Amino acid sequence: MSQFNGKEVVRGLETGLAGCHVCEKVAPISAVNCPRCGSHLHLRKRDSIARTMALVAAAAVMYVPANLLPILTTRELGISTESTIVAGLVQFWNAGSYPIAIVIFTASILIPLLKIVALLWLCAAAKGILSHSAKLLGRVYWVTELLGRWSMVDIFVVAVLVTMVQLGNYMSITPGPGALAFAGVVMLTMFAAMSFDPKLLWDQLLSEEIETPTSQPPSKSE
Amino acid sequence: MRTRLSILTWPKPKGGPHHAICHYCDTVHVAEPIPEGSRANCILCGATLFQNRPASLARVTSFSLTALLLMLVVHTAPFVSMDAGGMWTELTLPGAAKALIDDGTPLVGFGVALFTIVTPLILAGGLVYVCGPLMLGRLAPGAMFVTRWMSRSEPWNMIEVFLLGVLVSLLKLGKVAELHFGIGFWAFAGLMFCMAGAVAAIDKRELWDRLEVARGG
Repeated sequence: MSQFNGKEVVRGLETGLAGCHVCEKVAPISAVNCPRCGSHLHLRKRDSIARTMALVAAAAVMYVPANLLPILTTRELGISTESTIVAGLVQFWNAGSYPIAIVIFTASILIPLLKIVALLWLCAAAKGILSHSAKLLGRVYWVTELLGRWSMVDIFVVAVLVTMVQLGNYMSITPGPGALAFAGVVMLTMFAAMSFDPKLLWDQLLSEEIETPTSQPPSKSE
Repeated sequence: MRTRLSILTWPKPKGGPHHAICHYCDTVHVAEPIPEGSRANCILCGATLFQNRPASLARVTSFSLTALLLMLVVHTAPFVSMDAGGMWTELTLPGAAKALIDDGTPLVGFGVALFTIVTPLILAGGLVYVCGPLMLGRLAPGAMFVTRWMSRSEPWNMIEVFLLGVLVSLLKLGKVAELHFGIGFWAFAGLMFCMAGAVAAIDKRELWDRLEVARGG
C-alpha cells in the first residue's frame, strides 16, 4: 500500500503482480510466463533506462546526417540539384505554402527533436536527477509515443515524388542518402519510446513514501 | 449459445477477481465490468485503463473486412496520375515502395512497404481472422499467436501518415503538372478510416478476455 496525495494505492511492484505487456492479463511475477498468452512477464521493462538512452543517443547521432545529407536529388534538363529537409522546407515557405511548410517543419524537425529531448528528460526524471510531476511526465510520454509515427511523413513525400516525377530527360527525382538516415532517426526514436517504462517515474516519485520496497527499485540513491 | 456470444457484452474469463494494472503508474485495480460505452480510468494517474466498446466484435469484423476489400482496390488502382507535358506517370502504393527500392534506397523502400502494406494487412487480416470466428464463440486456430503479432505490429501501421505525405507531395506537384485523382486515392482515404475504426472498435483487454473465454477459460 502506497500513499499518494492522501490516496491509498496498491502497486504491482509491491504485490508482485505483473500486467502482461502483450495481453494485459494480471498474473504473479513468480509465474514467469503469462498464463494466457505465454509471453514473458516482467514488472518493469528490462534495462529500460539504459536501452532508451542508447537508442536516443543513436537517434541523436543519426539526426546530423539526416539533416545534412540530401533527402532527394532533382535532375532537371541535365542539371542536378540536391535538397536537404531544410532546403525543401525553405522552398515551400518561399513559395508561400505556409501550411505545408509548417507541417513539414513540425513533422520532420520539431517532433524528432522534441522526442529526443523528451526521452532524455523522462530518463533523467526516472533516475531522480530531476524533480518532476509524474502525472505531467506520464502525459509527455503518452504524447511522445503518439506523435512518433508522424515524422515519417517526409519519407513518404520522397516516396511519392520519386515515383511520380519520372519524366525522362525532362525531370526526374531520386532519393538521397539523407532519406535513409532520417528514416533511421524516426525508427530509433520509436524504439526508444517503446523501451522506456513510465512506471519508473512513479517508482521514483513514490520511493520516499514506500518504507519497505519489496523488489529492487530501479533507481538507487538512498 | 453461439449467437448469444456475439452480442454478449465483454464476457469475463472464469475465476477472478480480475485485475487491471495501469501501464503508466503500475497501480493495481480490480477490474469490475463497466457498462458499454464507458471507460475506466486509473485512480492514481488518470490514464485510461480500458473501454467497453458497444457492439465491439461486429464493428471490428465489419471495419476490418471493409479495410481488406479496400486494400484490393488500393493496391491495384492508381492513386493519382500526373500529366506533365504529354508524359504520364501514376502512383500506386506498391509502385512507391518499388521506386525507392529501384532507385538506390532499398532499405527505405522496404520500410515504406512494411509500414503501408504489410502492417495494415497483418492488422486487418488478423482482426477478421480472429474476431470473425469469435462472433460465433469459436477460437480460430492460432488466434492467440495472430493477436500477439497484431499488437506487436500496431505502432508501425502508418497509412494515415502516408496519406498526409501524398497530400503534401501533391500540393508540391500540382504547381508543375496536371493531376488526376484515381479510385485508389479515395479507396485509400476510406481504408484509413476503416483501419482507425477497426483498431478503436475493441479494447485490447476485451479481445484477450474473449479469446480466453472462447478457449474455455
